[in-house]
Amino acid sequence: MKWITARRRHPLAGYVVVILALAFVGVGYAFVAPSADRAQAQTVAADAPDVDLREGRQIFTESCASCHGPQGAGTETGPDLTNVGAASVDFQVSTGRMPSMNPDAQMPRRPTPFTQEEIDNLAAYVATFGEGPAVPTNVPATAPQRSDFESEEEYEAARETYDAAYEEYIAGGDTEAGMKLYLANCAHCHSWSGAGGALTDGRWAPELHEASPRQLYEAMLTGPGAMPLFNDTTLTPDEKQDLIGYVKDLQAEPNAGGVFALDRIGQVAEGFVGWTVGITLIVACAIWITAKQRAHD
Amino acid sequence: MSDTPAPKSLRAVGNFIDDRFHLAKTGEKNLRKVFPNHWSFMLGEIALYSFIILLLTGVFLTLWFKPSMTEIVYDGSYERLNGVLMSEAYASTLHITFDVRGGLLMRQIHHWAALIFVASMTIHMLRVFFTGAFRKPREINWTIGAIILLLSFVEGLFGYSLPDDLPSGMGVRILQGVILSIPVIGTYVMMFLFGGEFPGEDIIPRLYMLHILLIPGILLALIVAHFMILWHQKHTQYPGTGRTEKKVVGTPMYPAFAVKAGGFFFFTFAVIVGLSAFVQINPIHLFGPFTPTSITSGLQPDWYMGFMEGALRIFPNWFDFNIAGYAVPVAVLVPGLGSLGLLAVALIAWPWIEQWITRDREHHNVADRPRNAPTRTALGVAASVVYGLLWLAGSNDIISETFSINLYLTTWIFRVGVIVGPVVAFIVTKRICLGLQRRDRETLEHGYESGTIEQLPSGEFIEVHKTSSPETVHVLRSKRPVPRIDVEATDEEGVESPEARSVMGRLRNRLAHWYTKDNISFEGVEPHSGHHLHHGHATAGAEQEPANTH
Repeated sequence: MKWITARRRHPLAGYVVVILALAFVGVGYAFVAPSADRAQAQTVAADAPDVDLREGRQIFTESCASCHGPQGAGTETGPDLTNVGAASVDFQVSTGRMPSMNPDAQMPRRPTPFTQEEIDNLAAYVATFGEGPAVPTNVPATAPQRSDFESEEEYEAARETYDAAYEEYIAGGDTEAGMKLYLANCAHCHSWSGAGGALTDGRWAPELHEASPRQLYEAMLTGPGAMPLFNDTTLTPDEKQDLIGYVKDLQAEPNAGGVFALDRIGQVAEGFVGWTVGITLIVACAIWITAKQRAHD
Repeated sequence: MSDTPAPKSLRAVGNFIDDRFHLAKTGEKNLRKVFPNHWSFMLGEIALYSFIILLLTGVFLTLWFKPSMTEIVYDGSYERLNGVLMSEAYASTLHITFDVRGGLLMRQIHHWAALIFVASMTIHMLRVFFTGAFRKPREINWTIGAIILLLSFVEGLFGYSLPDDLPSGMGVRILQGVILSIPVIGTYVMMFLFGGEFPGEDIIPRLYMLHILLIPGILLALIVAHFMILWHQKHTQYPGTGRTEKKVVGTPMYPAFAVKAGGFFFFTFAVIVGLSAFVQINPIHLFGPFTPTSITSGLQPDWYMGFMEGALRIFPNWFDFNIAGYAVPVAVLVPGLGSLGLLAVALIAWPWIEQWITRDREHHNVADRPRNAPTRTALGVAASVVYGLLWLAGSNDIISETFSINLYLTTWIFRVGVIVGPVVAFIVTKRICLGLQRRDRETLEHGYESGTIEQLPSGEFIEVHKTSSPETVHVLRSKRPVPRIDVEATDEEGVESPEARSVMGRLRNRLAHWYTKDNISFEGVEPHSGHHLHHGHATAGAEQEPANTH
């Protein structure tokens, strides 16, 4: 106590208290705040791999039917899935948006609880409900994961095949056409960098960085959430390829301007850094070079 | 300075110059000029230094930049955009970025220096405002400073527009929209400026001329005038021992202040170059060229235009109307031009408004402590709150996305905030100022709290107050009595003055009363006269005074 008493009137004591209080609130909040992981939807242990449609139906019954109805005809809490097609299922489930933990809120992207095989089975089952766009299988999907393979060699071989297909697909797009399409149709919600943005009524356009080319393609094909539909007559498959190529290419482009790219947020982040780092450092220097002994001490 | 004679060689040079220009006397006088020693007097210098950096880097950039909207197919070392149709302005900016040695660094220095330039002017202006340094005789210099600040906004906007990349095109588009919103002449002004429909071929060359020739020329002239007036009138200074309205205390120009200022230049330069080297700013090569069909979310103007952007974003469209088929878009006109106009008028007119209200015609060379002018300080904080909220509102989509707040909700938060915020800020600030004044009076009367608790023989606990240093006493006593304007004042015949009968006269009296009524009087307060100090020394029982009420 004596240590504190001796210092509590130190000129810096006030700042120390403020910093401690901020740290306390910040750390405390991190503990109290709900985290997405805790509300993780229950995963389904599938153990009937031989028949595709049967497993699909099982997953559907266990994870989807409670909201979308036993035949996918929709209920009060979930929309009708009759004509959504396999592409929509693949998009929603592979990006982890479905199964949803809250049917009233827009779902963020998160790791999916299913394997790609399970998703394929489910998509095939839902596709039997009606007519809808199929999964664009010629567009590269998510990269293979090490955990899906028994041995390192198998994984590396799969990875190599995937990377080659990915490179080929991205390089096949025309940058100028893709840029024009992207800036005219996509950037006003997803922003020029693909970082996403705010929409009306509490919704938001998600960022595109983690999305695989196939997921981007499927999103255009099915128009999830507030997103408009860009079917193959509005944007031809070639145009979609230009567009996806542009997005992925821009994303992979290094930041020539410096190691701190400020998440490509742009002017808001630049202004913030200009004030908090730039002006603050210079003013601190001004205080330093004009400092003198305090009167009391 | 020192009495030792200068070396012979130097003397010869000195004599050569002095024989021709008679500079020795003025030179000596100016070298001995005194600068007050306080960090807040260095803020304007940051602006000067960043302006110098802007001029130098700007000249470098003009060597390669082509202000032309001629469409060409890019063929350069930035492969991603090879074969893309773009304007020559954009292509030449890519050339500076990727083909000119040091070009990208220079571009980033130019941009960061611009942000720092306007930011430092802003805090410099706030310092001058809150310390009352704009009062007579410095009103003209304040006005010049305000014009420099406002012109810099425009200068920055035009510079931002030149590379013809995606955000700059969108900025020009907003500029065009705001010009179009002016009733009657809007379309003509827009057609004249753009030389036809948006975007046309003329706007970039015209903005270029304004950005590199006309506005910097005016800025340079105004900055020189600002400095000459400052040099002539000298700095204000904070109250302190030996400092009076007639005498400035500080560091002489040569050698001490020159060394400090020189070092400070290099520090400012280092921070700006450091930011430019490590933090990416305005990556035009990632944005891509502007085409009239392009539009993106998540883009803002540079920070200093943020308050106008915010005003545009939150102003409701309830007041738009049509006259004989012609639209009057109030929701663009008022926030777009009104916000800047209001800021301009308020800044330029403030010294005269305050003078008119308070009838204060005296020379002021000692700065006010902000707490000692509570109404002015509260007004300044209220205005800063409005500005700050509008500024934040300009980034409402980023705020909405980052903090997961409903976008429409942010609009309403800011709409309510810009009306309620300043009122609350005014009241709170004024209360804080008056509280600080009371504490000053308490400190003056009783000394400062030492943190030592003593128990008297009677059992009473007291905190020992110690006498403040003479410097502190001087600062505390510097508070001048504020003349309270008596609205009902009459002359000795019992007649109110003719001025007080007119509408303006009554308004003025009302304002003066409001402006000066709340102030803690220090009249008759003697330093260290309070009984706190005596407690420790008084013998128990000898002191029969009632327990102190402070």
